[in-house]
Amino acid sequence: MGLEFFTAQKRGSAQLPSTTTPKTAARSVAAGRTRNRSVLKTFNNIKITILCGFVTILVLRGTIGLGNYSTETEDQTLAEEINRILAEIRSDHDPNDPNDQFDQQHDLSLNETYSLGPKIESWDEDRKIWLDRNPDFPNYVNGKPRILLVTGSPPGPCDNPIGDHYLLKAVKNKIDYCRLHGIEIVYNMAHLDMELAGYWAKLPLIRKLMLAHPEVEWIWWMDSDALFTDMVFEIPYGKYNEYNMVIHGYPDLLYNQKSWIALNTGSFLFRNCQWSLDLLDVWAPMGPKGPIRDEAGKILTANLKGRPAFEADDQSALIYLLISQKDTWMNKVFVENSYYLHGYWAGLVDQYEEMNEKYHPGLGDERWPFVTHFVGCKPCGSYGDYPVERCLKSMERAFNFADNQVIKLYGFRHRGLLSPKIKRIRNETVTPLEYVDQYDFRHSVQGEVGSNS
Amino acid sequence: MVLERCFGQRRSRQFHRILRNGKLTLLCLVLTVVVLRGNLGAGKFGTPEQDLMEIRETFSHYRKRAEPRRVLEEVSAEEEKVSNNYAEFDINKLFVDEESEEKKDPNLEYSLGPKISDWDEQRGEWLKKNPNFPNFVQPNKPRVLLVTGSAPKPCENPVGDHYLLKAIKNKVDYCRLHGIEVFYNMALLDAEMAGFWAKLPLIRKLLLSHPEVEFLWWMDSDAMFTDMVFEIPWKRYEDRNLVMHGWNEMVYDEKNWIGLNTGSFLLRNCQWSLDMLDAWAPMGPKGKIRDEAGKILTRELKGRPVFEADDQSAMVYLLVSQRDKWAEKVYLENHYYLHGYWGILVDHYEEYIKNYHPGFGDHRWPLVTHFVGCKPCGKFGDYPVERCLKQMDRAFNFGDNQILQMYGFTHKSLASRRVKRTRNETSTPLEDKDDLGLLHPAFKAVKVSSA
Repeated sequence: MGLEFFTAQKRGSAQLPSTTTPKTAARSVAAGRTRNRSVLKTFNNIKITILCGFVTILVLRGTIGLGNYSTETEDQTLAEEINRILAEIRSDHDPNDPNDQFDQQHDLSLNETYSLGPKIESWDEDRKIWLDRNPDFPNYVNGKPRILLVTGSPPGPCDNPIGDHYLLKAVKNKIDYCRLHGIEIVYNMAHLDMELAGYWAKLPLIRKLMLAHPEVEWIWWMDSDALFTDMVFEIPYGKYNEYNMVIHGYPDLLYNQKSWIALNTGSFLFRNCQWSLDLLDVWAPMGPKGPIRDEAGKILTANLKGRPAFEADDQSALIYLLISQKDTWMNKVFVENSYYLHGYWAGLVDQYEEMNEKYHPGLGDERWPFVTHFVGCKPCGSYGDYPVERCLKSMERAFNFADNQVIKLYGFRHRGLLSPKIKRIRNETVTPLEYVDQYDFRHSVQGEVGSNS
Repeated sequence: MVLERCFGQRRSRQFHRILRNGKLTLLCLVLTVVVLRGNLGAGKFGTPEQDLMEIRETFSHYRKRAEPRRVLEEVSAEEEKVSNNYAEFDINKLFVDEESEEKKDPNLEYSLGPKISDWDEQRGEWLKKNPNFPNFVQPNKPRVLLVTGSAPKPCENPVGDHYLLKAIKNKVDYCRLHGIEVFYNMALLDAEMAGFWAKLPLIRKLLLSHPEVEFLWWMDSDAMFTDMVFEIPWKRYEDRNLVMHGWNEMVYDEKNWIGLNTGSFLLRNCQWSLDMLDAWAPMGPKGKIRDEAGKILTRELKGRPVFEADDQSAMVYLLVSQRDKWAEKVYLENHYYLHGYWGILVDHYEEYIKNYHPGFGDHRWPLVTHFVGCKPCGKFGDYPVERCLKQMDRAFNFGDNQILQMYGFTHKSLASRRVKRTRNETSTPLEDKDDLGLLHPAFKAVKVSSA
């Protein structure tokens, strides 16, 4: 309506100046009028179009944008909620505990000595008496010594979820091996002694378990980042009748080079006896966190070859102890390297396919490693010593390499060492027991139940 | 112009006006419809978000179809970007399936495996030939295999794997004390029976591969032991083959879909069980069969919501419809919590500690606390996340306290991860007896034969 008025006005004004002849003037004026009108009309149309287009875009953007935003906010609020809960879980703040904030134990000063517990002098005799009195809990079952595999992880969630996932896979791996070999597992998730936290936590734990379970002949400590990769290999216990500790390492690195990686405390056997208790008592003093551990770290770095500067760790402390008190301890320590009681992962993981082709499980050595130990990967933390992708790929491969040996009995195999999916390698039959006899290797390891202390 | 000639100027102007008004009206109408559609949604005609999704899908579909190889190459190119930081890594890029899925003939009826009719005889013979693998480890104690599991890929929820880890530690502890073996499954044996049905092919496979196992105990990954002392009364079930927690009235009379629970049950290794698995399986194959079966189950069972067929409802339906065939060998146990719904148990832990002691397994001290509906591994559960996780921590600590007390420790509180001493170290550890007698319990004793 307004536009009409506008054009009318325009029309009006166009009429006034006129110098040409009336007829042509009129015609040209008319033409000009029409042209003007069409221009104006076009102009107005464009304006309307733009306005409407603008409004449409606004509205659509508003509605579609809002729509997206609402599902995004749902996801976002859920993620935020989970993160908040996760942070709360990680902080381990207990609102009900009045001493929660004041519970930080003070670190031992350099003058104080740490003790794992009251000194026990007659453990061998006490244990023998107990075993005689409790024939239902013998220390040898089916001709094999009773073994307790001990492992563990921190009580809270890992710094990232990948860490928890690989802890879960590692514990499944250990459960599988131990089920096949009649070994019991203790998975520790408690800090029994806040002084000896971190890698030292195994010391009070091992001592506690030894004393609480006299029926256990060997305690086998295994790190949470070590995986079994030979499900058939059985430790040759008979070889160690005269020894009390079995640890993987190299005598040359230990005695001649005094290297800080001469032995590995990520996977070792410890006999349940007085000697072991004494060793633990002598091993522990470098452990208490704070000034003691830091000072001890400096001593260890100074005395061991290749050791970087950091606080004392249990492995370096043990090496230092065994070197400096060689005569007291070494006659009962077996430094094993004929099979991979601990196998450093970097040299092993790329060869799994080759091993599959050339060899078979049961060898335990470089042809088919018993244990693949992912030292330095630290998947439970935020940063490892190696590229993350390499570590995780290798751990997945090691896990599947071992899992293939377990599910072979059931007629399956993974679709590749990096695949979580499996495929059938044996059809179902109506006589499954013939395969059980063939593939369940437990049936080839038989013995009698008896006592052999 | 044309109109001017036809109708005259005034008429044509009127016409133009009408036209303009019409255009404006139409425009406003369109805008109104768009706004309303955006805010309220127009159901079948879709909402703007759906349009956007469709557009996105079409484009991504074209992109995916056209460039599969480029994705693979991109992955290998990214390998060069090395990082030591775990937070930056996307775990889903790790997995590579080297071989393709087996194509199953869709016309074939689903079957767990070839029909075996003489399993009891086959197994009996095998047991005779293998006296070192007896199916009874003590006169009244059968050899039991506890089976549980989870998916092989990391949980969608960042805390999910941590709770799976705690749950398996809890099961390992109970089983160590009671002389039970554990099998943790992380493999999907049959892609058609995915989800809650995955246990069926797994159970069948384990029964047939482990003839020495007398009872198979299936337990969900979200169930935890809260009574470490309670031993299953095996003698009670010597004539039964399937033991589940439930109530006879709720199953047979009410046909209630939660009349029993398949999150924790015992299954004997025998021919009857193989037949039962074969009868149970048909509702499982995913896709049309499972959906249709779900509708039948919702219709037939009381209180069941609408969703695809699940193994629990299918079991209720099977027992109700074929009662004469199966009920005789099925024991619906409710004298102790073979499965304990967490919602009614978790708030009473302090009460139990005050008034009772472990060993009852029932309402006084539940054997199993089962976190149905929490789904900590997935993104969405049926309950608030915080309640679920906090209660799972409490249940874990409640059970763990019974383990720690063997060694003279306990958690500082049911909510705390930290532990404190309850017994000092002594120089005569063999004289310390743990209150619950779990260090050397009778059900773990090994019968030594005269050598």
